[in-house]
Amino acid sequence: MTETQTDKHPIGGLADTLAKPALLIGALLTALAFVLAFTVASPVVGAKVNGVELIGNEMIGNQILLSQKIFYFHMPVAVVSMVVLTGTAFFAIRFLMTRDALYDLKAKICTEIGLVFVICTMISGDLWTRFEWGVWWVWEPRLTTYLILTLMVIAYFILRTAVDEPERRATYASVFSLIMYVDVPISFFITRLIPSSVHPVIMRSDSGMSPDMLAPLMCSLFGFCLIAYGLYRFRARTELIALRVEAAKDTLDD
Amino acid sequence: MTVRVQKPSTFAQYVTLLRKDLQREFRTRDMLSSMAIYAFLVLVVYGAALSQTGSQFDILQMSGGMLWALIVFTSLLGLNRSFSYEKEDGCLEGILLVPLDRSVVFLAKATSNFLFLLAVEIVVLPLYYFFFLTTTTPQPTWPLMLIPMLVGTIGIAGIGTLLSTITTSTRGKDVLLAVLFIPLVFPLLYACVSATTVVVAGGDIEGIFRNSVLLAVGYDLVMVLLSWVLYDYAVSA
Repeated sequence: MTETQTDKHPIGGLADTLAKPALLIGALLTALAFVLAFTVASPVVGAKVNGVELIGNEMIGNQILLSQKIFYFHMPVAVVSMVVLTGTAFFAIRFLMTRDALYDLKAKICTEIGLVFVICTMISGDLWTRFEWGVWWVWEPRLTTYLILTLMVIAYFILRTAVDEPERRATYASVFSLIMYVDVPISFFITRLIPSSVHPVIMRSDSGMSPDMLAPLMCSLFGFCLIAYGLYRFRARTELIALRVEAAKDTLDD
Repeated sequence: MTVRVQKPSTFAQYVTLLRKDLQREFRTRDMLSSMAIYAFLVLVVYGAALSQTGSQFDILQMSGGMLWALIVFTSLLGLNRSFSYEKEDGCLEGILLVPLDRSVVFLAKATSNFLFLLAVEIVVLPLYYFFFLTTTTPQPTWPLMLIPMLVGTIGIAGIGTLLSTITTSTRGKDVLLAVLFIPLVFPLLYACVSATTVVVAGGDIEGIFRNSVLLAVGYDLVMVLLSWVLYDYAVSA
């Protein structure tokens, strides 16, 4: 019993060994990106204001805004949130194929990490709209599709807590996460599909970013990727150890 | 004497399941009456909500949005009920014991939900006009609004059937259905509102109407197909 349990839920190994350095390097890279964003990256005319406009009780012309630095964190966090949610969809499909509870656990952990990054994206994005666009919220295609995504990720956890039987909970959560995932590519590509949208297209070959801007952006992107990976492994490890403890308890009871 | 046993065709199974739903509804009039009354009450609430807007206010520009808000809330009520009575006397277990493709169950249920919703819309639409729009002159293109209405109702019935199957066996199912349903249906709602508004209040019919209807049709295709594929898992769990 314990033997199969251990084999089924491998703890440790290369993936877990790499988790700690990944988290550490990720933290260092994002810290480096933070420093670079304020020191190396040249200031950019952030908001394109037609003439002069009132933003936050200040008259703003074509001024260089410090809030442009939000970009170096907003965009990587958003990309990582979509990558992590892709993991959720992958594990959800694997669960529906195999009915192995381990995949459901992994899908749940992916969504948890996804929720953290989605909320970070929403907060940084909202600061951006406030200080660069001068409004708290716009019903603009990219913002709207991402808001829907946020609501669905939250709904995923509400759904999970509302079902008691583990097998049924796993199935429902997997089905819902697959429907939820439809929104991820839509949200990603919508700025290309609807070019009139206010939100700029960042991922393109002629993005017009100079190397000094690209450096902090890339540091931040890889840093957040590593942080997401490290968090995922640590979270998985905790859950698997908890499962193993439960199994050991059961064996002791018998 | 020979006994011939023939497996009923998929279409026959579909018709049987659909007829069961319709028959039940015609006997009790449970869902239709509650949905119609609820829709009417929403109209009454709109009456209070718009009572202070005065004569300067262009109700035509807002009518599409209000109509779709009404449809979404009414459909939530209907979808919640559509599966609760299946659970009551173990009806769903009975259906699942029959060796049939689960997607037939989905199609039959989605069709009955679609028909009930359409019936309520047919009742509510004249009432909506009677209460709010008699003082206005809608554009002559207004009959085109039936297209987004049809497409939107198909989408709501399709995705709603899958979600109500999921939520019917959860705790706090009424709230949960709303929590799952409203974000998912948002793109469809958005497309239908813009298509309806443009034909009722006027505007760029060529561009906006066509694009919105195309968006709604695309949403329907993706969501109904996905629900169809995933239904087997949801209903068997």
